[in-house]
Amino acid sequence: MGAKSKSETRVSMPADCRMADVGELHTQLKSALGGSQIVLDGTTVDRVDTAALQLLVVFQHEARKRERQVQWAGVSAPLYDAASQLGLAEALALPAKKPA
Amino acid sequence: MSSISIAQFHKVFFEESLEGLDAMESALLALDDGGDAELVHSIFRAAHSIKGGSATFGFPDMAALTHEAESLLDQVRDGRRAIDKSIIELMLRTVDCLRGMFDRAQSGQPLADADSENLKQQLAAAVGHNTPAAAAKIAAKPAASSGWIIHFRPHAGMLAGGNDPLRLLRELAALGQLVVEAQLDRVPTLDALDPSECHLGWRIELTGAVSQDAIKTVFEWVEDECDLTIEPLVVAAPPPAPAVEAVAAPAAGAGGAAGTARNAAASSNDAGSVRVAIDKIDGLIDLVGELVITQAMLDQFREDFDASRLALLQHGLAQLARHTRSLQESVMGIRMLPIGSVFNRFPRLVRDLSQKLGKQVKLDLVGEHTELDKTVLEKIGDPLVHLVRNAIDHGLEMPDKRRAAGKNEVGTLRLEAFHRGGSIVVEISDDGAGLNREAIVAKALQKGLIKSGEGLSDEAVGELIFQPGFSTAAVTTDLSGRGVGMDVVRRNVVDLGGNVAIKSRAGQGTTFTITLPLTLAIIDGLRAAVGGECYIVPLVSIVESVQLPADAVRSVTGGGELFRFRGEYLPIVRLHQQFGCADARQQIEEGLVIVVEADGTQIGLFVDELVGQQQAVVKSLEANYRRVDGISGATILADGSVALIVDVAGLIRLQSRRKAA
Amino acid sequence: MAKILAVDDSASMRGMVAFTLRSAGYEVSEAENGQMALDTASSSKFDLVLADVNMPVMDGISMVRELRTRAEYKGVPILMLTTESNTDKKMEGKAAGATGWLVKPFDPEQLLATVKRVLG
Repeated sequence: MGAKSKSETRVSMPADCRMADVGELHTQLKSALGGSQIVLDGTTVDRVDTAALQLLVVFQHEARKRERQVQWAGVSAPLYDAASQLGLAEALALPAKKPA
Repeated sequence: MSSISIAQFHKVFFEESLEGLDAMESALLALDDGGDAELVHSIFRAAHSIKGGSATFGFPDMAALTHEAESLLDQVRDGRRAIDKSIIELMLRTVDCLRGMFDRAQSGQPLADADSENLKQQLAAAVGHNTPAAAAKIAAKPAASSGWIIHFRPHAGMLAGGNDPLRLLRELAALGQLVVEAQLDRVPTLDALDPSECHLGWRIELTGAVSQDAIKTVFEWVEDECDLTIEPLVVAAPPPAPAVEAVAAPAAGAGGAAGTARNAAASSNDAGSVRVAIDKIDGLIDLVGELVITQAMLDQFREDFDASRLALLQHGLAQLARHTRSLQESVMGIRMLPIGSVFNRFPRLVRDLSQKLGKQVKLDLVGEHTELDKTVLEKIGDPLVHLVRNAIDHGLEMPDKRRAAGKNEVGTLRLEAFHRGGSIVVEISDDGAGLNREAIVAKALQKGLIKSGEGLSDEAVGELIFQPGFSTAAVTTDLSGRGVGMDVVRRNVVDLGGNVAIKSRAGQGTTFTITLPLTLAIIDGLRAAVGGECYIVPLVSIVESVQLPADAVRSVTGGGELFRFRGEYLPIVRLHQQFGCADARQQIEEGLVIVVEADGTQIGLFVDELVGQQQAVVKSLEANYRRVDGISGATILADGSVALIVDVAGLIRLQSRRKAA
Repeated sequence: MAKILAVDDSASMRGMVAFTLRSAGYEVSEAENGQMALDTASSSKFDLVLADVNMPVMDGISMVRELRTRAEYKGVPILMLTTESNTDKKMEGKAAGATGWLVKPFDPEQLLATVKRVLG
């Protein structure tokens, strides 16, 4: 899925981003850590749960430890709301402003 | 909205509950005979469903009674109490009492009466609590605070169980102002992470006038799946007025529903409904799908057809015919219900009757899963009850008599249902004394039904008990002497398109065989022309059709005609004479004789010719005109004309009456 | 709209649940017992399962246990329809993997409130 340019790895989150469907995302995130620049795309996320957000939190932790650069290409409103509600917006390094 | 939407399920609830009571009863009876633990479970299950349903659908009296019964059953189920006769008796009474309640519910009367209250007390006493079950719960005063600090750390497995902290926090957010701080100290590495396990924790500040109970309610489902502390943010005096608390009040809502619901149930009582297994409906939907595809396929020919595609069209039409036929069978199948629902009432009947008469009876039920048309099923109950009563009352002997005859003291009564050809056969057999030939012949002579008993075959003697006005009881007991004779039993069965036959052997027992049509709605028949008219002869009755030379027929004194068929002389019934058809063929050699059979008797029907085979959708002649001897109904042919359906058993009876006269 | 599987051997209960939820716009499938529910859950993925506890063939608790072994039903809410008197059944259900419960008797409003609570 991730389109590569130089060492930039792009990971797109699925529209239904919940426990039963995050296996694929987990795999992608693991392999994304191989690159130095990682772009997370959460534009199309429609449904998300704590399991998926925890996965992203763990990923961000790991990325910071390994000094990878992680950027958000987009964050959907449901993703933003859920992360804020769980107090995870900061740990996920979400943009400070809620998307329209 | 709740009252309307709930009321429409009352009828289904009544039906399934009555079925549940039947199941409960038969399981209780089996338990009485020393059944296993699974029976207790099934009894419990039935009681439990009725309790849940009655509370949900607004019948608190019923729910209260079932609650006590369920508590008692629960003790038995848990092994806290051994099952004994007194409990079985109490439960059987509960079954009866609930049946009464359902009767009253259907007619909109108050459910509870002195009996039910009394029974409820007895059940409660047996359970060991005499105080009403709904003891007032003293609600703990909600601790109140201007806010709370909540520490919430889910156990690893909580997420997989479907409780998402996201949902819980959203619910908290609906109560007041939230400040959420996630605790990430325990998260594993990305490789080690199992995304279905939770490694996060939260410290939550909730401000607002929120009771502790309201917060606990949010975490109600996860109490055992997380570490949770709820502490007041600032300790404050309890507010003067109690905090608004949502108290579930199902009784009020459901109680209000009951009135309207009862009316609705009462008004639609007669409509009748059928509960259909989901797989039957799925089958139907599949078939309709096939039909739609075939229709679309055939539709192409409308636009564009030439002779080269004829084979394709024929193929499509054949497919259409096949699907239509399957669809018809499936739709008919919806009306089919297992006979077990009727059989189920017999263990209780047999138990009560045999106790009353001091006889010992073992009841064998075979083929409970055999399916019958719902209408047939509803009407076959009473005749069967009568035959079973008869068998116990007259057929089976007292234990001492049986012993003297060298038989097992325990008599066997067997009810068996099975398919035979296009029919359902129900046999009621006992290993009793058999028909009392002398008593029957004497009675028949006395009633003037026969002139002499000599030379009467066993079959003919058996037939006598079906004659109107004949009572089989040598000594009338209160069981069978109810003014319903065997003639009524036969009449009921015949009205269903079936027949009753009897076989009896002295000292060995009696067997009644009831033959019923699979369905009342459609029959397969041969179309026969008689004069300008058309008659349908049911295929199940037809043995063969033969063309006879003129000299094969013998006239007998009294005007009858006989012909030889497979070594036997059979009477001929000329349909044109029977039904008064003009312009029919008169000479035997010009027409056809259809050999038909019912009740083990064969006759020949003389018709002009056979036109073809067809399915006939049976319309009642009685409902549209009046009953006609020898005709079981009418049907409408493809050209719109009406054909009458020949009642073979009826014709045979007419014929034998004519012979006897 | 969310898809819900209603499992109850009582046709009236199931009917009431299905009717109420359909009226609220949910897509509802029905099953008569645990075994049929498992079959139905294989052919289609549901967002919520509502299951009675006491059922013939396969009870609700065995059904939950089996459903939770399937990857696609991890985290999917499963509510047991149970009665007040069945406190240990609630716990047994929870231990098998149920999300929570809805106490019988319930009326359509209570049912909808609970379903909305779970589905958000």
